[in-house]
Amino acid sequence: MKVHTREAGHTAIIWMLLVVTMLATGMARATERETADAWLLKLGPALNMTTYRGIFVYSRGDQVSSMMIAHRYRDGSVEERLVQQDGAGGEILRRGNRVLCVLPEQGRIHLDQVIPSGPFGEAFASQQVPVGAWYQPQMLGEDRIAGYPAVVIGLEPRDDDRYGYRLWMEKHTGLLLKSHVRQDGEVLEHFQFTMLEITDELPDSEFEIRSGVEMKEVTPYLPVSGDAGEMDGWNLGWQPDGFMPVDAPRTSRGQAVAFSDGLATFSVFVEAAGGTEMPEGASRIGATTVYMHYVSPGAGSQDRFLVTVVGEIPPRTAMRVAQSVAVDDRNALARTLAD
Amino acid sequence: MDDRLRETLSAMMDDQADELAVRRVLSHHDQQAVRDQWQRWQRIRDVMHEAPAGHAGLDVREAVSASLDQPAAGDSGHQSAGRRYAPWRWSAVAMIAVGVAIGFGAGSGWDVMSGSGPDTLVPVQAQVPAAAGVPEVTLQGLDPSQREQFSRYLLEHAQNNSMAAGQGAVGYARLTSMSGSGQGY
Repeated sequence: MKVHTREAGHTAIIWMLLVVTMLATGMARATERETADAWLLKLGPALNMTTYRGIFVYSRGDQVSSMMIAHRYRDGSVEERLVQQDGAGGEILRRGNRVLCVLPEQGRIHLDQVIPSGPFGEAFASQQVPVGAWYQPQMLGEDRIAGYPAVVIGLEPRDDDRYGYRLWMEKHTGLLLKSHVRQDGEVLEHFQFTMLEITDELPDSEFEIRSGVEMKEVTPYLPVSGDAGEMDGWNLGWQPDGFMPVDAPRTSRGQAVAFSDGLATFSVFVEAAGGTEMPEGASRIGATTVYMHYVSPGAGSQDRFLVTVVGEIPPRTAMRVAQSVAVDDRNALARTLAD
Repeated sequence: MDDRLRETLSAMMDDQADELAVRRVLSHHDQQAVRDQWQRWQRIRDVMHEAPAGHAGLDVREAVSASLDQPAAGDSGHQSAGRRYAPWRWSAVAMIAVGVAIGFGAGSGWDVMSGSGPDTLVPVQAQVPAAAGVPEVTLQGLDPSQREQFSRYLLEHAQNNSMAAGQGAVGYARLTSMSGSGQGY
């Protein structure tokens, strides 16, 4: 009987130890998760409210490009100057909501076409999307980037409709120093500061455009609230979980709607066919997939529309999105195209 | 010879070849040219090593794809990567040895291939093959007006994306990497 009791006692102790261990592990995981979440919350504000200058490189596929950046936060507003270090050497200067561009002499695409669609203040609205619902955040450790200590946060996708991320954030300010977009351990896109100075103050001279060059002021297009995600005459039959419409920007020849899950974005373009005939299928450039697909409003209809899905999403996901587009009112779509 | 290809080859020699780079070679639009080149190397190798020629029908794409696709036994560490690239490494070594012996630049055969038409290996540089089951559009197969439209979509997306994703400079980088004067987009 005694023996039996002692055995029971041992078993109880073992069980208690197990429970305590499991609780402790669980708590450690929860703490780690909270820590990662806390860091992610710093990401957006740090990008704006830190003053710094440096050079970063960006690569996708085998492409590598580099830019110089000077960023100042003063009296509640942002000034920023970016200079391309390769190729044509274009410049972008931003003062609050005003964006000035120095156009490169050559280069196929002029920078005046590439101005972000909103002011800085609203830039991180999408950070409100709970990233944790679609990605598993994890503290991966510490590192050193461009001379600064960094914490490394991994974001593993919870499904196959998005890529994973790895973010290196500066330990004191939370500034993004390096990032990877990954799929199954492969790095598809890589951003990294190679030279960086985080400082309290930068002189005005850092934000002056080189004199004697062509300059152009660009009024950023501000999406009218309420029309985000509005689709005239067509609809999306499927979109990956967690992606919300964030913007319905004007496009040159049709309609576009941008979707984001807080980290990844994709855009859907719908245009009347008739211009250049495009091949159907997927192309990948680093983490960016382009999927093109023609659709008709109904059987026997002569009208054709080109659906293009572009985004940092896997090809299969882009294909599903593109193939789910149905044009149900070609007149409505034609009207918006005519506007 | 294309510098990137030389890099890839030298990386393969060092067992450092990135899987993507090998896949890019495999996704080259002219697989017949790749296959022919491979067989030329094989024949030269056979001559050098006095081995019988038995590779006439070898489909390099299939063979290498199979070796790339085989599961990397849990972790794809350096050692297993070395094993997986072994056939490629070997052929690169053989090719460069032959190039030196015969007296023209390593991999000069690739000049024939990349110089055989307006489409060179260069545009392949930024492209990754699409996933299985998804029809693939290769960038180098696009004509100039298709390229223009293609880059317009990329650009407009980058514009939508540049700020929305909250990554600041990354968004800019996506934009400007397309407006460079170099190859690709």
